[in-house]
Amino acid sequence: MARFDYVRANSLHDAIQLLNDPGMVSKPLAGGTDILVYIRQEEPWFDRLVDISRLPEPIIVERDGTQIYLGAGVTFAEATRSELLNQTAPLLVDACRSVGSPQIRNLGTLGGNVINAAPCADSLPPLVCLDAVAHIRSPEGERQVPVSQLVTGPNRSEVKAGELLTHFSFATPPAGVRSTFIKLGRRNAQSIARLSMAAMGRTNAQNVVDFARLTPGAATPRTERFREVEARLLDQQLTEELLVAAGEQATATMLEVTGRRWSTEYKELAIRALAERALRRVLHNGHGAC
Amino acid sequence: MEIEFTLNDQQIATDAPPDITLLALLRDHLSLTGTKEGCEIGECGACSVILDGRVINSCMVLAPQVAGRSVITIEGVRGAGGGPNDMQENFIDYGAVQCGFCIPGVIMAGEALLTHNPRPTREEIRWALAGNLCRCTGYQQIVDAIEATAQGRANGADNPGDHGEG
Ligand code: FES
Ligand code: FES
Repeated sequence: MARFDYVRANSLHDAIQLLNDPGMVSKPLAGGTDILVYIRQEEPWFDRLVDISRLPEPIIVERDGTQIYLGAGVTFAEATRSELLNQTAPLLVDACRSVGSPQIRNLGTLGGNVINAAPCADSLPPLVCLDAVAHIRSPEGERQVPVSQLVTGPNRSEVKAGELLTHFSFATPPAGVRSTFIKLGRRNAQSIARLSMAAMGRTNAQNVVDFARLTPGAATPRTERFREVEARLLDQQLTEELLVAAGEQATATMLEVTGRRWSTEYKELAIRALAERALRRVLHNGHGAC
Repeated sequence: MEIEFTLNDQQIATDAPPDITLLALLRDHLSLTGTKEGCEIGECGACSVILDGRVINSCMVLAPQVAGRSVITIEGVRGAGGGPNDMQENFIDYGAVQCGFCIPGVIMAGEALLTHNPRPTREEIRWALAGNLCRCTGYQQIVDAIEATAQGRANGADNPGDHGEG
């Protein structure tokens, strides 16, 4: 007896209908890299997987005016190869490239990565940093939720049964804004959540910061922009001291959210160093001494 | 359920339960045991196969997901005469095989790499093997063998075999 059934959705409409079939618990199947691990270890809580990986109308990566649309079914590998993403969201490309192995990059999807909300989901900090919005379809229509509010904590997302995350959208960052994503290597951080850092920034001709965003990954239960750090940087002359102060603020902001716990001693140092390094990378433009 | 797909360039149809992995389909239902079962959680790469031209872990794909698609396993990698192809020969020549458990997966990753990037740097070869764990060799000879294969193919010396995607 099979432990669950499988059906392939032939269109988006079909997928929504299948996911809402009464009398049966259905779960979407995209890249499968999380579900396949899950069903090996646990009894499945669903009756049926609805394969949404081959819908005829997938959104890949498209630009419409100033908006970028990014399909939830785009794999890490596809994202890495996308010229549009390389131009508009290098931090997301960095994050996708940092995912384990070619085999997993060829299967795993951005939507699945966000929805399953593992504490170390690599694509989450960049999407939050980009102020990306998730588009969620249900029989009632579409609703939009900022990605930062979609994932409420480790392994918990706001997408309800019967709903389907179809794509993300975000505004093209202003000209001259640079972005990066850095992650602490797995081996260095083996027994501790894998910290990462997404940053965007720009300095003007006077070497004054006029754009700054910072989103640490796995530092706090919710992945959010650290607005205190951003405020600390904005309209300031870029100096070495400013970067140090921003790093310290990142640690302070994390502690405000999490309080002190067993991993804090490690994390406070790591967050400060990562924040400083990421911000230096995006803000340093050759105008000034820093 | 009935699953129809292209396996090593042959159209096949097979009956299998919907809840098994592609790895189990290959090994247990189709008796193709060249693809190895290691961790079964996507970490070791022993189960690597090529799906529609890209290397993936067959333990991370549900069997019915391959319907209508093309799968190449290590059994589909061979020279024109049916023996080892140039890459497999090079693995032997460079001493890249010790216990051999990881090798089918490594070959699939190597072939996928050369399909998309026929002249990789050593760095790119290492990067392409990031998902394949080998407990024995230390990777040096594996990288050498793949590098030699790329070189050989570029020189047109030894053409890749009849394994489609490469
Ligand atoms: S058995 Fe599939 S990756 Fe290890
Ligand atoms: S040769 Fe033994 S694991 Fe690679």
